[in-house]
Amino acid sequence: MSDIQKTHNPAVFVRGGSRLARAFGSGGGDLSRLFVLIALLVSGALLFPGFASPGNAMVILTSVAGVGILALGMTMVIITGEIDLSVAGIAVLSTVIGGVLLPGGSPAMVIGAVLLTGLVLGLINGILVAALRLSSLIVTLATMGIASALANIISRGQASYPNAMPEFLWFGRGAIAGLPVPVALFLLAAAVALVLTGSASFGRRLYATGGNARAAELSGVQTWKVRLTVFALSGLAAALVGLIESARLGYINPAGFVGLELKVLAVAVLGGAALSGGVGSVRGAVLATLIIGCINNLLNQAGVSFYMQQVVTGLVILAVVAPGFSKRIDVR
Amino acid sequence: MKLTRRSVLGSALASTALAAIPTGILPHLAQAQTGGGGHSVLNALIAQYAAAAAEGMKNASVAALYDRDAFTDYLEVYPVADLVDGFDWKPGMGATFTGPYSKLEIKAPFTDYIPLPEGPVLDPAKTYKIGFVFHGFNHPWLIALADTAAWEAARHPNIEIEVVDAEFDDNKMGQIIDTWVTRQFDGIVLWPSREAPMGPPVDRAIDAGIPVVSVDRRTSSQKISSEVLGNFYANGLQQGLYLKHSGQTGKIILNRKDLGSTADSIRTGAFLQVIGQEEGFEIAGNYHTNSQRSLAFQSTVDALQAIRDVAVSFNTGGEEAMGALDAIREGNRLDSAPDGKRIAILANDDAKEVLHEVEQGNIAMVSPYTPLIGDIGIRTVLLHIGAKEGLNAAPPRLVLTPNLPMITREKMTIEGVETMTPAEWPYAYGPAVA
Repeated sequence: MSDIQKTHNPAVFVRGGSRLARAFGSGGGDLSRLFVLIALLVSGALLFPGFASPGNAMVILTSVAGVGILALGMTMVIITGEIDLSVAGIAVLSTVIGGVLLPGGSPAMVIGAVLLTGLVLGLINGILVAALRLSSLIVTLATMGIASALANIISRGQASYPNAMPEFLWFGRGAIAGLPVPVALFLLAAAVALVLTGSASFGRRLYATGGNARAAELSGVQTWKVRLTVFALSGLAAALVGLIESARLGYINPAGFVGLELKVLAVAVLGGAALSGGVGSVRGAVLATLIIGCINNLLNQAGVSFYMQQVVTGLVILAVVAPGFSKRIDVR
Repeated sequence: MKLTRRSVLGSALASTALAAIPTGILPHLAQAQTGGGGHSVLNALIAQYAAAAAEGMKNASVAALYDRDAFTDYLEVYPVADLVDGFDWKPGMGATFTGPYSKLEIKAPFTDYIPLPEGPVLDPAKTYKIGFVFHGFNHPWLIALADTAAWEAARHPNIEIEVVDAEFDDNKMGQIIDTWVTRQFDGIVLWPSREAPMGPPVDRAIDAGIPVVSVDRRTSSQKISSEVLGNFYANGLQQGLYLKHSGQTGKIILNRKDLGSTADSIRTGAFLQVIGQEEGFEIAGNYHTNSQRSLAFQSTVDALQAIRDVAVSFNTGGEEAMGALDAIREGNRLDSAPDGKRIAILANDDAKEVLHEVEQGNIAMVSPYTPLIGDIGIRTVLLHIGAKEGLNAAPPRLVLTPNLPMITREKMTIEGVETMTPAEWPYAYGPAVA
């Protein structure tokens, strides 16, 4: 491994700095995210009496679980140096296909079809990017458009309602030992992603693919397999999130998830993932998800307008990401 | 004739007279006009509450929002007037058919308004080309709008209609209109998203001698042949009337559409005009959730954390109301209004799913705003073409659709407005809810 690659894999290879900084990765990026999160929590607790309650904590976690799951998938895609803009389209098409099957289908068939659609679309993205070497920006932009259009064609633009299928609704409204299912799935996804990115085999290949694909291939890493895997996981995550959000609202909307890909991308970037590839961490993505959740919750509780919320969120992303970006430029 | 609320206010001392009538007489008046006269009853109430708001509001919290967002500017120029040719709409009127696009059964309320007989129209020897451009083959409300336009065109064998989705792209809509001008279409009907950008293309079409009619929303064109406008004012007014009648007071969360949109300005403004005259209301949350159910859901979830004693959820649309309801249900807060009362969710847009929730007692009321008005646009533009060819008189510039009565779980009479129950309302749009 070269020095640059070590720098690119902050969670595993960084040396030096304080013990706390070492614990939170290179340059203290995750540490600064943690400080931002703590600052938000403290200010929220001081400003709003109910903010620090367990109930509100669960509200925040449930609200951002979907975006968080997608951000984990997106982070892995970005680490390989690619991008996935099709997550909203995949979420819509997957759930619409589930909606079409609702009237006569069994729960296993409907839920299976949703997840399978996401997986297949993710694999298609992966094949086009990894095997045919097409730009992921172009491929997933096309997939996004095709999937959204197909969702409208298949549904004739009409919503469907999964209210009569409790198994479907469980994904958004159920609980496991008191923990809302969306939160449980987010934690599960984070654990899986942590294992994958931290593992000696897949994790190193993942960072190597994004850090320097040519060098990785010369070292025997089959980068196409890595890319195929991350796109498949991202597609599966999109379908799962489609399921969660449709179940929460009891409503499968062929025009839903507008702009979701940009929100997810923003969280991934806030989490420290570099669009140039080779950099990013699960811990960063989780912290960024929580930061966005706290900001939105705080601003909604304060009655701040939707438009101003977008301004504040953008400024926070800039404030957290810009210093780290400058450091990366200095290192190079 | 300039049909603005200001002109109505000026001429409608009738409204003052109506306001002076003892309220006990009003139900009788409504009874006498049930089914058809609801339009004029609601117009009189609009004038009455607008005049009161112009005098000032008793409620400081409501007045602060009303002034801050300059609702008066929008409300004063929004047309409120009588129906064309004294049309008297009654519940049950209208044709039933299968929507050409949605494939759903539709009962359109206004097919008898500005009627045209089935069969060839205008010059039977000629074929007329009509362009219908709108945004959104991905939304039930808009698909229903296109359904009614295509249905009306199909009733006349010498009419060819081209229906195009501009996908919420103003430039694309402008290009489509320009193309139809080049292809020498006989008439154009449009559902614009925003007012300003559609003015120039509409003007170009008019300058080329092609009649143009907008439905539901307006354009900035001063030359447009006709505007078919809905009952936004009556929507918000009735939300306020219901709340006042229910006696439920306390903290209100508002889930509004895009700032500056006609639907938001007129509905929210009219609602505030009514409750602004009452003590006991406090605007505790004010969100623009831009017609997105997920945003309305999220803002309500968070607001419920900050405000423990929410009494009312006001929503400018059905999407917002459903999002708010889901949020309130997720938080197990349905019956968390002060004194153990149910949070009063006020909605607009008579989608089947909203009516279902009214029937279940989860949404307190809904003011219908029907998308089933595309047929009026087609008939109006045909009459303009006929006028151009000297075959008939031109229809008026403003074609207002009838004010529709609110829908409540139980039938009631509120300030002269007789409500209808979900079971009595055949005009709901969108897919049915199991």
